[in-house]
Amino acid sequence: MGSPYFKKAAAVSIALLFNPITALASNETDLLLQQLNQMKQQMQRIQNNYEQQINALEKRLGDLESKQADNTKVVTTPVAPSSTTGTSNTDFQIGLTGLFSAGGSSVDNDALEGLQAGGHDPNKNGFTVQNVELSIAGTVGPYFDAQANLIFLIDREGETVVELEEAFFTTRSLPYGLQLKGGQYFTEFGRQNKQHPHTWAFVDQPVVLSRFFGGDGLRSQGIRASWLMPTDWYSEFYFGMQNPKGETVTSFLNAPDEEIGGHTLINRSTRDLSDLLYSARWLNGIDLSDTVSMNVGLSGLWGPNASGTTTDTRILGADLYLKWQAERSQRGFPFVSWHTEYLDRRYEAGDSDDPTREVLKDRGIFSQALWGFKPGWVAGLRAEYASAKGNTSTDPLRDTRKRLSPNLTWHLNENSKLRLQYNRDWTEHLDEETANSLWFQYEFNLGSHAAHEF
Amino acid sequence: MNSIISIPLGVMLFALSLSVQASIKVVTTTQDLAAIAKAVGGDYISVQSLTPGTRDPHFASAKPSMIRKVYHADLLLVVGADMEIGWLPPLLQSARNARVQPGKTGYLDLSNAAPLLGKMNHPVSRSMGDVHANGNPHYWLDPRNGIRMAMAIANRLEELDPDNSQAYQQQLKAFMDKINNKLPLWKSALAHLAGKPVIAYHNSFIYLADAFGFNIVDEVEPKPGISPSAASLSALVSRIKTDKIGILIMEPYYERRSAQYLNEQTRLRIAVLPQSVGAEDNINNYIELFDAIVAVLKKQ
Repeated sequence: MGSPYFKKAAAVSIALLFNPITALASNETDLLLQQLNQMKQQMQRIQNNYEQQINALEKRLGDLESKQADNTKVVTTPVAPSSTTGTSNTDFQIGLTGLFSAGGSSVDNDALEGLQAGGHDPNKNGFTVQNVELSIAGTVGPYFDAQANLIFLIDREGETVVELEEAFFTTRSLPYGLQLKGGQYFTEFGRQNKQHPHTWAFVDQPVVLSRFFGGDGLRSQGIRASWLMPTDWYSEFYFGMQNPKGETVTSFLNAPDEEIGGHTLINRSTRDLSDLLYSARWLNGIDLSDTVSMNVGLSGLWGPNASGTTTDTRILGADLYLKWQAERSQRGFPFVSWHTEYLDRRYEAGDSDDPTREVLKDRGIFSQALWGFKPGWVAGLRAEYASAKGNTSTDPLRDTRKRLSPNLTWHLNENSKLRLQYNRDWTEHLDEETANSLWFQYEFNLGSHAAHEF
Repeated sequence: MNSIISIPLGVMLFALSLSVQASIKVVTTTQDLAAIAKAVGGDYISVQSLTPGTRDPHFASAKPSMIRKVYHADLLLVVGADMEIGWLPPLLQSARNARVQPGKTGYLDLSNAAPLLGKMNHPVSRSMGDVHANGNPHYWLDPRNGIRMAMAIANRLEELDPDNSQAYQQQLKAFMDKINNKLPLWKSALAHLAGKPVIAYHNSFIYLADAFGFNIVDEVEPKPGISPSAASLSALVSRIKTDKIGILIMEPYYERRSAQYLNEQTRLRIAVLPQSVGAEDNINNYIELFDAIVAVLKKQ
């Protein structure tokens, strides 16, 4: 509709530009001016018309938008802003856990030290402060979580010891199901090694873990990657590298001048990547039914040991965890769980030119069942066996050892518990050969201790 | 030549059409949320609940299979108000899914959609038991909140999947209509309870009481989450007698001994109410949940 006018206007402008005005007759000029004015008016009308249309459209759009806002308002008006704090307070958690025990044994304190070799085990007649742990955890930002656990201990001389048990970051949202973890942390080997003493189902650490990983469990500085595999069931693969040196890496470069199987350990240093401690774990989780779930894991460790300059240690492990929880359960009760781990160690003792060179072979198993028979109450039974090849009967860390431990735990609430445990020990290295011990344990949690992993 | 090209092209188009149809993966912490999401999302979404309705959602059994579910989720629906505080934060850490972290479009805390009752306006101490300072998290037990939750879910689904926005609105409307039609029936069936004093086992039915007009005057638990003692039960016996309380309402998963004791001492009637979708075999959706609750309470 407007186009003929535009054409005329264009023709007029071109005529005005290219034809000298003097060449035009005056009547023609009047005619042209008249036409120009007409066209101006028409243009003005068209513009007004367009503007009106645009305004109308804008108004309709605005109405629609406000209508939509009204729609959402129905949902957002009852929003209680304070209820969002329910999730935000999980961003930073600080908590203190205290774990204490009292009890006694048929053997003396020196003998107990060999029987209760875990650093957080009740290990003397009388009172033990097993573990006071300050835990700080939170989300650093969109990409990282971080956690630090500080341990306070009172040693045999009554001195207070502070340990940096763990301090590490984990990534939150790497693609392809990947996750990285770095810092100082418990190695993901088996199910029990990563657990902190206050989440243990028994007052003490399994014998085989004390033998292979030392009193404090296997932990060191390093980095690990894990991959959540695209399988139909939960399947995760972990691969890690850690420093092999220190008292928390017992089967590897630990404690010069100490002995293992009669071999004196040297101060061996790490030279290249092949001297690091490598760990791998494959963990699978399957729901067998609505009430039964199963975790199956295989783990391996490879690293240098301090009995020579070229000697290596290899530890393999398998773990199985089954849990039944009643279809109708109150506070997670009743339940039955069964946790078993088997570990096997191959330790090259002495370099190839060492006449005393041998390969030390150790193994151990523990199997524990828990029965949560009513809310807050758990009955447990643990059976253990550990042994080594060769004549090891005088070595408290390598003799044939059996232990049976029934216990009863009462969780007063989520933040405190009482536990009574009886240990029956059979050993070769003690004159008594058997030992009977009774331990009473108390635990409290203050603040919001970082929730534990699955 | 043409046919050689058209085969892979056809395969590609077919794959594309599959990916277009692929539904939004919704994971919920409870079966109630799953039921409402399914009502609103219909065939455009797939829904999985992390916990079954037969269990207390405060105390989920943490299983690695949950990690896999959350890892694949496009939208995670949570009850919030500290309901899942014991197990959801570590799950979100392990699940390595950036889409469903708090604050993202794929994370929806439905306690923001309902007006919460039982908020504490004084400092909360653990000596008070399991107290939820941000309000009582059992808000899905008011059908009016079911509508609010459905609206919030529909809005979020539209945001994630604008192509099917019309379908979500239609399904939302159908769901709201169903509840609005049922609500007067439920109310008239429970008219005899209006204004009556009732005791509950746990502090979890205040929204139901609010919706249907009865009063919860006491709980069997002396403090939330704390098991009753002989002393607390005998105090309750005298209260039941003096206040002439007729009914105890409780979830199926709580122990029955205390209730039986109170029943023997006072002839208090026990109404075991399903608290969630899936708590009983015949409760497959949100409407059936209230049908079942009303069926139990109608006889009281």
